[in-house]
Amino acid sequence: MRKVIAASSVYKSYRKDPVIKDLSFTVSEGEIVGLLGPNGCGKTTTVRLLNGVISSDQGSIEVFGLKPEESGEDIRRLSGVLTESAGLYPHMSGRANLEFFADLYGVEDKGRVDQLLKDFGLFEHKDKKVGSYSTGMKKRLGIAKALLHNPKLLFLDEPTNGLDPEGARDLLVYIKKLNEEKGVTIFLCTHILNHAENLCDRFLFMADGTIIEEGTLAEVEARYLKEFLVEVETDIAEEKLPEELKASFSSRDGNKLVFKVASKEHIPQLLAKLLEVGPVYTSRILGRDLETMYFKIREAKR
Amino acid sequence: MNRKAVLAIAKKDITSITSSVQLFLPIIVVPLIILILVPGGLLIAARYVDVTETTNMGPILKLLDNLPAGNLKTALDSFTDINQKMLFLFLNYFFAPLFLLIPLMAASIVSANSFAGEKERRTLESLLFAPVDIFSLFLGKVLAAFALSMVMAVVGFILYGLVVNGLGYAIFHRLIFPEPNWWVLIFFVAPSFSFLAILFNVIVSAKVKGFQEANQMSVFVILPVLALVISQITGALLISSKVLWVIGIVTLLLSVFVLRQIVKHFDRNKLFESQIF
Repeated sequence: MRKVIAASSVYKSYRKDPVIKDLSFTVSEGEIVGLLGPNGCGKTTTVRLLNGVISSDQGSIEVFGLKPEESGEDIRRLSGVLTESAGLYPHMSGRANLEFFADLYGVEDKGRVDQLLKDFGLFEHKDKKVGSYSTGMKKRLGIAKALLHNPKLLFLDEPTNGLDPEGARDLLVYIKKLNEEKGVTIFLCTHILNHAENLCDRFLFMADGTIIEEGTLAEVEARYLKEFLVEVETDIAEEKLPEELKASFSSRDGNKLVFKVASKEHIPQLLAKLLEVGPVYTSRILGRDLETMYFKIREAKR
Repeated sequence: MNRKAVLAIAKKDITSITSSVQLFLPIIVVPLIILILVPGGLLIAARYVDVTETTNMGPILKLLDNLPAGNLKTALDSFTDINQKMLFLFLNYFFAPLFLLIPLMAASIVSANSFAGEKERRTLESLLFAPVDIFSLFLGKVLAAFALSMVMAVVGFILYGLVVNGLGYAIFHRLIFPEPNWWVLIFFVAPSFSFLAILFNVIVSAKVKGFQEANQMSVFVILPVLALVISQITGALLISSKVLWVIGIVTLLLSVFVLRQIVKHFDRNKLFESQIF
């Protein structure tokens, strides 16, 4: 698949203070990639570099095959950005804000502003000043602003910050739909890991201005999960466990037993042996979520 | 240049100013004082007071006696009354540099707010992420300030004319305003002065972090006008049409120089970094 973003050995300092160090990664067309990392690790700076808002000190960046320093305007015409603060004018109405940015982005479709206001449930509030909007409404308007010109690449910097659970869920659903139906490549910067886990195809783990790990959740799991904790819901008493399973038994919480196995391949064997002595209702692997992986990676790379 | 973006930015900036009482009030109040209350008060007072009896008019009366031949001398010679002469001189000449303050102030407030206001509202980044070149961004900001200052100049000119001719008719029995120097002032000097002030303020506004800082720096552009006011009153320089043409041309040349520096030295990266450091 065509590479939409390619960054190689990028460095950036602010007044001799290095903020991006040897940054290299790629993003393919149609992917949803999550850039994960703590506050201040360089996520937002990366978005600024990719859009040519700031220039790098060293290294090469290409977005749609274009270099931000030479063709920043072309890149920004193809991409949409939701910044963390949404960047809206509080003294102007929601509609006036979108109309202003539509002019900046050269949007010719006169109905586009109203359509987006409807899509994001803001049409009723279109004439209210943005200063009176709630955080969630501002965020939704910010995304509408980023989508005005139908971008092929969407940068979302902490899009769910400040949203209530319902608002966050609706937004994630919308982003997924946008990706699936229109093929928009999504570059999501966040530290809210469960949102990223539900949405992204692949992850870039960032710390101190550089990518410390990357891959899909399964790839990262294969690299960092050295033993698997399997939780089994069963009526089998601890003393009734087959002898060969006693060594792998780890803990008990009510009718849930937890076993430690070396690899996923051992799980069918474990379950088969348990079924020989009693019923098994459910089973699941513990500690394989993105948050666990995130901390394992950070610990390993420390 | 992105024409659509330039107009959109200018329109948005004008709306920002006119919707902010804090910013718009001085743009309206100062002209009301300088162009209506002061000349109006002067003309009303002149009906009841003999200016030659006031103690501090000596230098001006001396100036009247020593005027060189020209439009002003001819105009003043047409009046027999010293009160008329003094008023004519005040209203047509001494007020001219003061009048320059009107567009200049509007220009300064709008341009000081230009980039600094965006930084304070945290909207500058939205503009920098848009597919608009930096020159168009600058031009939009400059156009907003220039348009508003020119509206203030023209509206101020009309109001001043109505007050001076309306209240002055009872004293002069004819229309005394405007003298030829005013046309040069309104349509050449005021635009050149405002343009230079705007360029200076937009650069400052782009470099500092907030409006207060930018506004404080903008006071510097008023200084040349104050120098003109003082030179008028002391008789060091009488602002005839010729002098005004010279001032306008010099200002315009300076503006071109500053504009070239802006094009040469300003870029997106610097503008972005100015909001951090």
